[in-house]
Amino acid sequence: MMTLTLAWIALPLIVGFSIYLLPQLARALTLVVSVVSVVYGLWHVLNPDPIVLSLVDSFGVRLIVDQLSGFFILTNAVVTAAVICYCWQTGKNAFFYTQAIILHGSMNSIFICADLISVYVALEVIGIAAFLLITYPRTDRAVWVGLRYLFVSNTAMLFYLLGAVLVYQSSRTFAFTALSGAPREAIALIFLGLLSKGGIFVSGLWLPLTHAEAETPVSALMSGVVVKAGVFPLIRFAMMMPELAPTVRIFGVSTALLGVSFAIFAQDTKRLLAFSTVSQLGFVLAAPAAGGFYALTHGLAKAALFLTAGNLHSRDFKVLKNNPISVSRWAVLAIAGCSVMGVPLLAGFGAKTLTSEALLPWQSNLLIFATVGTAIAMAKLIFIPRASHDSDTDGKETVKQKTVSAGYWLAVGLLLGGLFLANGLYPDAYSLKNFAKPAVIISIGWLIYFFVIQRVSVSVSRVVEQFDHLIGAMSLVLTLLFWMVLT
Amino acid sequence: MFILEAFILATVLCGFFGIILKKNLMMKILAMDVMSTGVIGFYVLVAANTGLFTPIAAPESRGPVEYADPVPQAVILTAIVIGFSIQALMLVGVMKLSRDNPTLECREIERNNMP
Repeated sequence: MMTLTLAWIALPLIVGFSIYLLPQLARALTLVVSVVSVVYGLWHVLNPDPIVLSLVDSFGVRLIVDQLSGFFILTNAVVTAAVICYCWQTGKNAFFYTQAIILHGSMNSIFICADLISVYVALEVIGIAAFLLITYPRTDRAVWVGLRYLFVSNTAMLFYLLGAVLVYQSSRTFAFTALSGAPREAIALIFLGLLSKGGIFVSGLWLPLTHAEAETPVSALMSGVVVKAGVFPLIRFAMMMPELAPTVRIFGVSTALLGVSFAIFAQDTKRLLAFSTVSQLGFVLAAPAAGGFYALTHGLAKAALFLTAGNLHSRDFKVLKNNPISVSRWAVLAIAGCSVMGVPLLAGFGAKTLTSEALLPWQSNLLIFATVGTAIAMAKLIFIPRASHDSDTDGKETVKQKTVSAGYWLAVGLLLGGLFLANGLYPDAYSLKNFAKPAVIISIGWLIYFFVIQRVSVSVSRVVEQFDHLIGAMSLVLTLLFWMVLT
Repeated sequence: MFILEAFILATVLCGFFGIILKKNLMMKILAMDVMSTGVIGFYVLVAANTGLFTPIAAPESRGPVEYADPVPQAVILTAIVIGFSIQALMLVGVMKLSRDNPTLECREIERNNMP
């Protein structure tokens, strides 16, 4: 198994660099790599026995592959495969596929790392690959958005490095397990790095602009998997060291509430989806034990939503309200949106049920608000008016609909099919008691949408998303963390 | 040792506040470099906790020597390379931006490129 794991980790990197030699095969090779990862991830989801590898010796790299990693690897693989299908006919060059597959490989390695330095290296590679994907269009705005992302993530990683060396100083090892006896300031610094990288709480407010302004396939990739890079080590900490779990849970709940309150008032489809990602990550962190399955369903649904939102004629809700969208694309939005809300028959329902079972009492009371908020935010997407048939071009005011390629349908089919199939992973969710809760929550959410949200138009200021404030927010979160871990 | 640690943390903080307070994008990147220099210094300091002698095995035995810890040094070497490549990548981005924003003022660039 060890050889297999190492070969699987090395494969994306080898393929990534050889793509330059064989640019004609770029798309096929990337697809093959993601299919291999699907198989590997699925195998670990179905065989929960953890594999622990310690390479070289006690100072070497530590890897742990278990069911939790399996879920994240599966998410990464399916989303990457869908994005490659989507890009198949868009004429992207080999450079794009190289970056996509290196990103895929470094994401995979973060999901099996169990020592601080491997996590650091993987996170930095993810930062570079994501920067190159964001700046692929080479426009000024793309360069600025990418630069802003790289700046925030690199500053966060410097704090992380400081924390890592403090851990080493106290216990002479970089393994995750050393965190339990580490000094408080080390834990605070490491948490700051991971929270900022993962887009959690106020230090993660770089996320909405980055995800909304990136190209459609890139934003699907970013929102579907890349944000989970920062979240996964936090879940691992919470599972391995019970004394760190309360901090992770508190940040989960506050992120869920923060993200959703921005999402309700968003005026732009992609921004709404990005803020919804922030809040869904909160759910993943709020119940670490159920985090893997939740991350899988969120990744699939959010990638489908981003791919569809990028193919509507406008991103502005006001324009969309006056110009109907085609029924087929509306159906994709509705199915994926329902999964995010937790409607039965879709995997989101199972994930929500599993999460609510793993929540502590104080958390479930607060997270009800976040769930209602999610229903409101998704209602904004689901109730976009739709045209009666696909090619509606009769009115002169009708904005030209974008045409979509076969690749889009293949990608969406893969993602939504995954959402239906993933139901099989947790069949116990289907009991009458569990049906009642989402029904009540969704109807409350939709009522609030119809009577309040639809009629008011609040534009939320973007001041907090300015670059200086993003960096400044890090110092605030660091102070907060010091205060939290010291008490 | 304590004084050295204080100086290193002061360097890190100088860098961090430079990122926030400097107006020019180029200066912000340089400030980030100052911050990473501080972090690298801290690793070197931790490595020197156990001794200062370079950890290379010599054929003839010289008796017990206080070696520097090689692990943090190896780790920070990786981090230096990564930090350097990120710096280079950012400077390329800045070159591209400087064509339309010759002053490279962060506020200006942000105003032009925010939706």
